[in-house]
Amino acid sequence: MSKQENYDPSEIKRHMGMSAKNRISNTVIYIVLIIMSIVWLAPFVFIVLQSFRVESTWMVGYVVPKTWGLDNYINLAKTDFWHWYTNTFIMALATAVGQTVIVLCMSYTLSRFRFKMRNGLMRFMLILGMFPGMLSMIILYRLLKDLNMTQANAVPGLILVYIASSGMGYYVSKGFFDTVPKTLDEAARIDGATRAQVLWKIILPMAKPIVIYTILTAFMGPWGDFVVARYISMNTPAGMNVAVGLNSWLSADQIISRYTMFCAGGVIVAIPVTILFMCLQRYYVEGVTGGAVKG
Amino acid sequence: MASVVLKNVVKIYDNKVTAVHDFNLNIRDKEFVVFVGPSGCGKSTTLRMIAGLEEISGGTVEIDGEVVNDLQPKDRHIAMVFQNYALYPHMTVYDNMAFPLRIQKMPEDEIYERVTHAAEILGITDYLLRKPRALSGGQRQRVAIGRAMVRDSKVFLMDEPLSNLDAKLRNQMRAEIILLRKRLDTTFIYVTHDQTEAMTLGDRIVIMKDGYIMQVGSPGDVFYHPGNLFVAEFIGAPKMNTFKAELVKEDGEYYVKAFGSKLIADGKRGEDLKAKGVPGQQIILGVRPEHMFLASDGDPNAIECTLEVSEMMGSELHLHAITDDGTRLIVRVQTINLTPEQRKSLEIGKRIRVTFEGKVMHFFDAETEENILYPYIPEEV
Amino acid sequence: MGLEHFAPTLFCGTNQKGIKIMARYSDLEYLKLSKWDKFLYKLGRFLIAIPLGIGHFFQKVGRGIVSGAAGFGRGLKDIGSTFKNGDGITKGSFVVMGLGNMARGQFLRGILFLLFEIIFIFYMVTTGGYWLSMLPSLGHQGPMEEYNPVLDTYSTVYHDNSFKILLYGVLTIFFIIAFIYTWRQNVKQAKITQEMTEKGIRLKNGKEDLRSLVDESFYKTLLALPLTGILIFTVLPIVFMILVAFTNYDGAHDGYFNSLFKWVGLENFNTMLSWSGGSKVYSATFGEVLTWTLIWAFFATFSNYFLGMFVAMMINKKGIRFKKGWRTILVMTIAIPQFISLLYVSKMFARNGIVNGFLLDMGWIKQSLPFWDDPTWARITVILINIWIGIPYLMLIVTGILMNIPADLYESAKIDGASGWKQFSKITLPYMLFITGPYLLTQFTGNMNNFNVIFLLTGGGPTNPAASGASGAVGFTDLLVTWLFKITTGAESKYYLASVVGILIFIVVAIISLVVYNILPSVKNEEDFQ
Repeated sequence: MSKQENYDPSEIKRHMGMSAKNRISNTVIYIVLIIMSIVWLAPFVFIVLQSFRVESTWMVGYVVPKTWGLDNYINLAKTDFWHWYTNTFIMALATAVGQTVIVLCMSYTLSRFRFKMRNGLMRFMLILGMFPGMLSMIILYRLLKDLNMTQANAVPGLILVYIASSGMGYYVSKGFFDTVPKTLDEAARIDGATRAQVLWKIILPMAKPIVIYTILTAFMGPWGDFVVARYISMNTPAGMNVAVGLNSWLSADQIISRYTMFCAGGVIVAIPVTILFMCLQRYYVEGVTGGAVKG
Repeated sequence: MASVVLKNVVKIYDNKVTAVHDFNLNIRDKEFVVFVGPSGCGKSTTLRMIAGLEEISGGTVEIDGEVVNDLQPKDRHIAMVFQNYALYPHMTVYDNMAFPLRIQKMPEDEIYERVTHAAEILGITDYLLRKPRALSGGQRQRVAIGRAMVRDSKVFLMDEPLSNLDAKLRNQMRAEIILLRKRLDTTFIYVTHDQTEAMTLGDRIVIMKDGYIMQVGSPGDVFYHPGNLFVAEFIGAPKMNTFKAELVKEDGEYYVKAFGSKLIADGKRGEDLKAKGVPGQQIILGVRPEHMFLASDGDPNAIECTLEVSEMMGSELHLHAITDDGTRLIVRVQTINLTPEQRKSLEIGKRIRVTFEGKVMHFFDAETEENILYPYIPEEV
Repeated sequence: MGLEHFAPTLFCGTNQKGIKIMARYSDLEYLKLSKWDKFLYKLGRFLIAIPLGIGHFFQKVGRGIVSGAAGFGRGLKDIGSTFKNGDGITKGSFVVMGLGNMARGQFLRGILFLLFEIIFIFYMVTTGGYWLSMLPSLGHQGPMEEYNPVLDTYSTVYHDNSFKILLYGVLTIFFIIAFIYTWRQNVKQAKITQEMTEKGIRLKNGKEDLRSLVDESFYKTLLALPLTGILIFTVLPIVFMILVAFTNYDGAHDGYFNSLFKWVGLENFNTMLSWSGGSKVYSATFGEVLTWTLIWAFFATFSNYFLGMFVAMMINKKGIRFKKGWRTILVMTIAIPQFISLLYVSKMFARNGIVNGFLLDMGWIKQSLPFWDDPTWARITVILINIWIGIPYLMLIVTGILMNIPADLYESAKIDGASGWKQFSKITLPYMLFITGPYLLTQFTGNMNNFNVIFLLTGGGPTNPAASGASGAVGFTDLLVTWLFKITTGAESKYYLASVVGILIFIVVAIISLVVYNILPSVKNEEDFQ
């Protein structure tokens, strides 16, 4: 008797049932995913489409422009937009460098050194983090004003604010350093390296993913910051970043003439950041998942 | 090449747990000392204090006559091999081995000489340009040893270097460490939880438990003259059988009463008992499985027991038996010595009769578990 | 036990046996309970655990204070005995800092100590003393119209500056604390150097001290910069703003140009929290905003969490293709700066926005939907858009964790005959909750303070007419933080009220964190899933 004949027909049917069920559920999932992709991408497609609209500069109830053109992009040059853009770009670069240095110092230290005040320090920072950061803005504004780093000169002031407190955000990269075996440090110290050499020659070269993650998030910060930039620049266009500047175009008195330019500006802001992000996506994903798991 | 002296060394962790109590040891130049004990006994902590990786809470550590308590690991001139190899993953094998030399700013051609020489000895020349993740466990361990070898270190520390290897490779590496030791001719301190490694490698063995030294001695010492019950049970496999018994002194002769049998303590043991004038008392009797054998039919002092498990190990049988009062014991029997009848009688559930000779008995105080003959009287040659 | 007597006794349909909630069951007793009883028992234990946890916390704080005081006492005693047993040099170090180090060959340390002392004394004499002396009053003389004989006019002359007095007063106190600490270190060093010299142990010289900064004391080097930043840009402002809550600092009392501000004690807290009189509008507004803040944080956190998990599992399902593609589409939306997407989406849902335009064109509605104009619509829309913002992040995180769940857990579950749902509810979900517990907490408190989403989407609107008496134009979607922002930027700029709100936010966040931390399994049993 061949094995084939041994099969119970109902058994075969059940198998078919399983795969049919699977096919249906997969189809449902595909449909959901396609709808989701549309919902998630649509606003960005809309922004791009509207940035090419010429016939009206205000909001309209439709998406596809009736007349296409680059007017909005050209008009950006007549505004402070490029000034804001340069401001933001400078801040992003400076923050990326400064914040990375500080975060790495902080997280490596807390991961590797067991000094007397370590636990107290971590608890203290946890408690500090429970105060709304907004509260500090009033005094930071006054402090920076005394140093002439507000309003038109907001850029250095903002850089200082972004970098200065970044030590508090050590959690993700400390989580990474915690996963690097401590015996590597110990082996290197026995091999004759000082603590500084351990960090520089052993740990940092291995920490490429987290360094890139830190640089990336630090770089992206100033592009999206709204609160701090608005507070420190205090309604002075020369000191604004793109977020504050473009937001001012949506105020009741400007939106009629500036709405499509807002879209064009948004597109120009989004392009470099998105490209950079997509290139370094892998590191971002590693950092985010690692950080959440480590808590 | 240096001596290592530990005086009253204590380790207390931040949470007030004392990991090492009053540790005193004098390790001679070029000696191979093994710290052995169950996990959590403080052996690794002690090693790490010597290395400078743990702060010393009390006492002093001297290397080559210099107190090193406040010296950083890098200033202690030691080399160390870790259990998990601790190879730098972003460096090639060559760079890994060259790292300690580059830190010293040694000229590159000398580094080349040393690294390739060490690689040749360890048989890893073919992998010099590979990254550690492309190597097998055994190869990684060789690189780790190589990295420790290339330097002129005074003391060579090894923290469970073979624990991550499989059994076969472990035996092979063990032999290689013996060869390495001959070649390097320096002071070795080796930490392991495996008594076989300790016995085969060490000139002297330091057996530890709960942060205390239980006994220090040569492999022969700790095997034949365990200072206490813990050492007796820890060294040797399968572990020593122990019974509740009574030591009786009658007409100047010593007897051991156990299971209703009365065995005479003769040979060296009997002489030592007499020499020390030990009074009769309740004791724990220890006999190693390899020193027990199946009793002849007529033996009146044989122990009656029931065979529970019989493990065939090839050249020998491990018989696990239980006496009528519930004491379990193990007997190692050479298979080649068994008669066909005996082999037949060794079935599970059958009654067997076992016995041992007086000269192989160990006597431990029933209360303190100390060996009542310790320190032992050396044999006259 | 007396408590048992009062404990609610709950009956269960099947076994008619009451279970005791206040009592503790042994493991074996617990195992015999029915499912429902087990649930009740656990719930009871959970509820009991909350006050216990908080009690435990205060106990810990109390013990901390006691041991701190004991430490302080020991310190004083040590200082005393150092003075008594010290030689001339050590005694001299009590006045001239660093003398002990210098006299015994540690020049670098000694000079640094001495330098610090000189700077401190110089600062205190020149300016510090002034700020400190003004701190209790926050200034005597406000701006005044004074006759200027040169110009022969009256002009405003500015005198004391309350803001600066408060700020530099606080800084001076920081400095004094630092000085006391350094002085104490100096005394310790004097003692140690004396002891070591007597024992004949060689002391570290300056070069070795410097070298240790890249070796055993490398952490000091690494922490110097970050901690200075945190001290000046986080700690100082927070201390300052806490103090502001006890003053009447606002737009009208700016401390210099308009008029001085002064200490008012607990008056501002009274205004914010009392339920009587004219300030009732504040407490009512606070209650309302707080309620919405908590509702928002709850929905924003958990809707994202579960939907994100759902999306991640859909993409992760065996047999689904283009996994990378789907993920990339979602992840891309993270890259685009939030203000662009939030502002744009906010406009999409406006009365004349694309969404309404589309729905009107299709003829599905006759009138524009009041997405931002009606309180309930606005609140729901905000939560929905937040889902749109948040799901990509959650999807990423959950995907990472899903991949880390050991496959053999599922394999053994399958062999044990668990269905897909059982596998989710018995393996995936508990694992997730365990691992992401702390993350959920930070998400929750983060959402409570989620300024960007609310401010850029609605600006807090629609305006709540009932709260018009409270400072700032409070709206129905305003969170405590956005309200705080409005208070500080409004015409009146009632900084003192903003500080009170800020302190209250801190208290709420701290209580929630405390409770959650005490019951989180991943904090308690770290090894469970390892």
